[in-house]
Amino acid sequence: MNGDVHERARTLIACGEETPWLAEHLESCAACREFAGSTERTARALRALPITAGWSLVSATQMRVRQRARELQLRQERLGAIWICCAAVTLIAGFTAAALWSGLAWIGERISIAAPVWQMSFVVFSLLPTVVTAILLLARGTHLADNKEV
Amino acid sequence: MADENAEIAQGLRRRDPDLLDRLIEQYQHRLLRYLVHLTGRRELAEDLFQETWVRVLERGRQYDGRRDFTGWLFAIARNLFIDQQRRGRAPSEDSAELDTAAAAGQPSALELAMQHEQSAQILAGMKRLSAEYREALSLRFQEGMSLEEIAGVTGAPLGTVKSRIYRGLSALEPWLKGAGL
Repeated sequence: MNGDVHERARTLIACGEETPWLAEHLESCAACREFAGSTERTARALRALPITAGWSLVSATQMRVRQRARELQLRQERLGAIWICCAAVTLIAGFTAAALWSGLAWIGERISIAAPVWQMSFVVFSLLPTVVTAILLLARGTHLADNKEV
Repeated sequence: MADENAEIAQGLRRRDPDLLDRLIEQYQHRLLRYLVHLTGRRELAEDLFQETWVRVLERGRQYDGRRDFTGWLFAIARNLFIDQQRRGRAPSEDSAELDTAAAAGQPSALELAMQHEQSAQILAGMKRLSAEYREALSLRFQEGMSLEEIAGVTGAPLGTVKSRIYRGLSALEPWLKGAGL
């Protein structure tokens, strides 16, 4: 018998694995039998350790979880509304672009101007709202940043 | 068990607050006990207890009900503790304080004193162990998890789990002897 055999036996005992080899080994090894007994007593002692959650912790956790659940619900509803708005805006933008393109083509034809000119006008008309909005938002952001300390 | 896990998975997908209330009550002692042994500090364990349930609510849709809920829950708690450690808020050994509360039942004053003494010895021993050994012992002996389940919670190979349990027990031995075990 060498140390490896005892270590193998003790690992099996610690992990609660019962094998015929271990049973045979325990019959002939008093030290490992003692380890098995000690492990059993340890398991019992650890199970008996009185660590319990208090009512206040449980109740505070339940309240916190419910509050978070409400926040997530609200966020989900807002996200839903944003998706609907995005879809509506995309649809309207598509129709508007098509109408604008046809309108400018018709005007271009009526007043006999070159196609690149009315096509350029289409680009300007299409981009104008975005550019104006971006400028306004930037100005607002700068304003807010400047007045942050106040 | 599989039905229960599937039912929990359904409830978590709906973010059912009643189900969460029930789960919090059902797992209150087991989860807190695990966290106390993992962190070595009751106060931190209570913080992580709350965080764990909030995370369960947020990530509940990721639980498919195919694996055991207990293992999934404990793995969330463990990951939160690791995140906490990474943020540099690891508990210090010196401030470690494993609280105990009176056990259920009506033991005599002498029995109570002996139990208290024994618990204090074991807890003192547990405090001296590294978090990995404490965790392995707690999951194996307090939660009664199989080696495979422990490997699932800790993400460690089976051989490592076995080794941690054995080494943890060996390291705990002097305190167990001190406790008269």
